[in-house]
Amino acid sequence: MALFEINNLTKRFGGLIAVDNLSFSIKKGEIFSIIGPNGAGKSTVFNCINGLYKPEEGSIQFKGENLIGQRPDQVAKMGIARTFQNLELFAHMTTIDNLLLGRHLHMKANLGQILGLNFRRSKAAKEEITHRRKVEEIIDFLELESARDQYVSNLPYGKQKLVELGRALALEPELILLDEPAAGLNQEEREEMVFWIQDIRDQLGVTVLLIEHNMQLVKGISDRILAISFGKKLTEGTPAEVLNHEEVIKAYLGEVV
Amino acid sequence: MILQLIISSIVAGSIYALMGLAMSITYKASEIPNFAQGEMGMVSTYITFVALSSFGMSFLPALFFTLLFAFLLGVFLEFAFIRRAKNPTPLSFIIITIGFQLMLYGFAGWKWGADQRRLDLPFSETKTIIQAGDVTISELNLATVAIAILMMGGIYLLLNKTKLGLAMKASQQNEKAAQINGISTKRILAISFGISSMVGAIAGILVAPIITLDPSMMWDPLLKGFAAAVLGGMKSLVGVVIGGFMLGLIENIFGFYISIEFKSVVAFVIIVVILYFKPEGLFGKHYVRKV
Amino acid sequence: MRLKLKQDYFEDIELFEDRVPIFWSVVLLGFLFALPFFVKSYYLTILMLMSVNAIVALGLNLLVGNTGQISLGHAGFVAIGAYTAVLLTKAGAPFIVSFAAAGVVAALFGILLGVPSLKLEGPYLAIATLAFGLAVTVIIGRMDFLGGRMGVSVPKLSLKWTGLKYDTSLYYLIIIITILLTIFTRNFVKSRIGRAFQAIRDSDIAASSIGINLTKYKLLSFGLSATYAGLAGALWAFYLGFISPTNFNFILSIMFLATIVVGGLGFVGGSIMGAVVMTFLNIQLENITDVPILGSLIEKFSEAFMMHSAISNVSWVFTGLILILIVLFEPMGLYGIWLRVKLYWKTWPF
Repeated sequence: MALFEINNLTKRFGGLIAVDNLSFSIKKGEIFSIIGPNGAGKSTVFNCINGLYKPEEGSIQFKGENLIGQRPDQVAKMGIARTFQNLELFAHMTTIDNLLLGRHLHMKANLGQILGLNFRRSKAAKEEITHRRKVEEIIDFLELESARDQYVSNLPYGKQKLVELGRALALEPELILLDEPAAGLNQEEREEMVFWIQDIRDQLGVTVLLIEHNMQLVKGISDRILAISFGKKLTEGTPAEVLNHEEVIKAYLGEVV
Repeated sequence: MILQLIISSIVAGSIYALMGLAMSITYKASEIPNFAQGEMGMVSTYITFVALSSFGMSFLPALFFTLLFAFLLGVFLEFAFIRRAKNPTPLSFIIITIGFQLMLYGFAGWKWGADQRRLDLPFSETKTIIQAGDVTISELNLATVAIAILMMGGIYLLLNKTKLGLAMKASQQNEKAAQINGISTKRILAISFGISSMVGAIAGILVAPIITLDPSMMWDPLLKGFAAAVLGGMKSLVGVVIGGFMLGLIENIFGFYISIEFKSVVAFVIIVVILYFKPEGLFGKHYVRKV
Repeated sequence: MRLKLKQDYFEDIELFEDRVPIFWSVVLLGFLFALPFFVKSYYLTILMLMSVNAIVALGLNLLVGNTGQISLGHAGFVAIGAYTAVLLTKAGAPFIVSFAAAGVVAALFGILLGVPSLKLEGPYLAIATLAFGLAVTVIIGRMDFLGGRMGVSVPKLSLKWTGLKYDTSLYYLIIIITILLTIFTRNFVKSRIGRAFQAIRDSDIAASSIGINLTKYKLLSFGLSATYAGLAGALWAFYLGFISPTNFNFILSIMFLATIVVGGLGFVGGSIMGAVVMTFLNIQLENITDVPILGSLIEKFSEAFMMHSAISNVSWVFTGLILILIVLFEPMGLYGIWLRVKLYWKTWPF
């Protein structure tokens, strides 16, 4: 059975159809990419999955459970984390606080227990320490040591992207949605990002769904690719199949007259 | 009786609508709710008072100097304080304008004292113009509504039919693009503050004869004008005017039939309830941030 | 620079990072506790006022500085707390009951106000909270069993068992409560819930995407902030001995907001510093003509150009000016200045 499945998804904004009758499914442990030119409706798909938008038609299922109508925080609780195309970091907080926020769902201490935070043996302090340890592992994993105590707004763009990735990983999701992970990165950073994405799948065992319009990045790491244009599916298959598909080339390069 | 109520509502509504428009002009330009608006109008009204009583001017020259002063006061607020804010948040602007409000309030109290003074306008409150049955309309009532409508028309024309209005619209919608096209967005903002201050000054002059001239006379009109603007949708001029008249009506009807003491409270409660269902006001556009 | 290498994760959340602040805290505590034996009770009343303002500021800062909401009606919560405490004390409830009830009732109203506020932002939220503040005072003014507009006198607490003067016992009571609330707030800000508040402030979309329930946490923030105001209201009532609706007007709400902006938004230390400085400033500005040099200048100016009998209004001018200057030149408030001074000394002489 597929881990994640979308059937006949349609999302309209007024008269504009952003996503048009789209269907696809992802298997556990896959790296699945959605490609398409700007304005093809890629981010809209993410926002529908994530609960920010409510689609008009279709179904979204994760591990057999329906996602439509769930709030973003409920979707996160089910094990889906995401990053954003233009970064949505907690800018006035340090890297470590951003990552600790990713642990929010796993922490349980309530208002009363917080009173005891000053005592090493208190429940709240113990819990806090456990999660700090977990976050330090992510900092190690993404090599963010130098950024640990810095305010994220002071970090270079490439590092900020990693912090956002780290925050999503801190949720320990089963499925991670990456919205243009390489956008705005330079060549070197882009190559590194490819490694991180592969490591996320190989070492952490997280299923990856990513959106990109950079073909080179997608080609190297995807198991399967879905190409869309104007919200419609063009084709779906292995990287080689999709990138040589006539319609895809047309969508990218324009019609040859 | 109901007719008289409606007339009082329209008179009160005109003033709320003027204050609302004054708030809305700067809010449209900069997303700054100007809490000093009322006090700026109050100080300007004192200028009229001084011109009339101390310098013995006639009304029109006094009005001219008042409007000139009001314009400069608005430009001063923008130039001296608003423009100087570095990495401002919406809250910093609220605090700046509240700070300016306190300064003006203190200044007026210091200069003219807390005594309630009478502002004599050429149109008086006691002279009745229309008397039909139990309906009375005074000269001041009529002048208030007439001037308010004139101002609304003027603002509409200014914002929609002039080059200045076009430049204001351009810098609101896309500051960078406006700059590229040769519009000095900072100067435009300063002018917006000046114009809105002039509108507030007119409101102040119309309020003063009703509730006597004193440093705290504009508190209530400011809050009501602000509420009217929020009710109508802050950025929609037509909405703000409708909001003003609605607020006047709600207040007067409620005050008469149920309780005069709770009339402002009820007006505010109704606004909160409306906002609950229409968070951007009745005529505001809902804006969703894209991610 | 004295670099402290942390050895385990607990050190990240400890109340004191090393011995120096412990030393100064002990000195400060000792000073506060010894004070009644050295100074006139006038100074104690100033400290009590500072403490009460500090409690409101701590709560308001959680809402405004940490969660990024705005409230122009906090005086309303203070009023609710004050009147609840008075009502219960009159009915014979012991202090601890009426004090706790003040917090709980204010919290309920906070959550009630929070519900419509969930959808509102910026000026829309400002007007809703402002309306709440106005409504509270008008409604209390109409309730005759609360003394109506004339106000009500507050029964004295039974603090005889302490064996100290009434003022002194009240001073200790207020100081201890303030210290406990400060420590709680500091822990709270460092906890998961405190972090969730800040996440909502910085990006509500990202906050919800990592599993933070916006409705729940915004309501919690309103409720908690109102609780502080309610508790402070109860203490304020006992401190004043007489309250009326005019004590809790719009200007008071503005002053609370000013306190946290001056102190430093989002910093626990900022709330305390803001309350201390603003309270002090309010008292000083009332006698501004006694200040050397500046005072006589103002007096001369006043005699020449202004209505000299109304010179007390000059305090408004200065308060307004200080607010503007702080926002323009020190957006992090007094706490920001303190942080920079601290850094300067740590790295001195480099």
